[in-house]
Amino acid sequence: MYNESKVIFSVIRSIQKEGWKKIIAVDDGSNDNTYNEIKKTGIIVLRHSINRGKGAAVKTGLEAAKILGSKIVVTLDSDGQHDPKDIKKMVTEIKKGYDVVLGIRDFKKRHIPRYKAFGNYLGNFFTWMFYGLWVKDSQSGFRAYNKNAIDLIKTNNDRYEFETEIVREIVRNNLKWTEKVIDVRYSDYDQKKRNKQSFWSAVKMIIKLVLFG
Amino acid sequence: MSITSLSLILLIFSLYSIGERSIRFFRKEQNQSVFKLIATIFIWGGISYIAFFPIHVRQFSEKLGFGDNLNTLIFFGFIVVFFILFRLLSILEKNERLLTEIIRKEALKDLK
Repeated sequence: MYNESKVIFSVIRSIQKEGWKKIIAVDDGSNDNTYNEIKKTGIIVLRHSINRGKGAAVKTGLEAAKILGSKIVVTLDSDGQHDPKDIKKMVTEIKKGYDVVLGIRDFKKRHIPRYKAFGNYLGNFFTWMFYGLWVKDSQSGFRAYNKNAIDLIKTNNDRYEFETEIVREIVRNNLKWTEKVIDVRYSDYDQKKRNKQSFWSAVKMIIKLVLFG
Repeated sequence: MSITSLSLILLIFSLYSIGERSIRFFRKEQNQSVFKLIATIFIWGGISYIAFFPIHVRQFSEKLGFGDNLNTLIFFGFIVVFFILFRLLSILEKNERLLTEIIRKEALKDLK
């Protein structure tokens, strides 16, 4: 997470209210009060000394989960767009024997901006073109992994390309995967965020994936 | 010598770029080096020279044996430039990844 001091306390509290106790937060070099806000919640907090991007932060979280011996890991975004109630159904799918569960947004819902649906379709198309696997939401940050997947997945990219790289790793390692519809809430806060994925970051992402994989 | 509006515009750009670089160099600003100053003078000076004396480029091309096929030379020039650009981007990308690894190790050190 990067500069999420306004919402991070309530986001973590809402996860804790659902009964989840082992929570890891990665502060990706925020220059606001994010780190102290996380500290107040009593969860494990890791800190990048400088901002390295969403993919880098998620990877640090996954590495921490490995060190702590976690058997199932669920990742979700820090801006409150994901509903912690959905964590349970993601975990249930993993317990059924899947290695990876991809949370997918229902783009037919009216409150989801149209440009996000279009951007996601393009992301899905390029993901399919690069790796030959069609997923319904290649850019969703709400995902679940079992230990086997965490051990096998190897990613290189630090920014939003990370989400697409996970799809590549599913193909490369022949992981058993499924998709689960999740609820998303796009608030004014989320729409006004400066560090969200933009059209140009998506173009850069495609160029980087073509040049460096 | 051929004086056209394009060559005059290029001359203004060249003088501005060389002047700006020289001021920054003589002010001893951070990240300024003799190499950058010489490179700026060479590149922009070269552009201005070619703009005013295009016939010299043709003569040079003939001496090299390309004759009128100057476009071939330019084409190979582009290939070299793109190759260098790609190498630089690759090095930059590698360094970015190394930096992230160092940051990650530092972030995880208290967990181990």
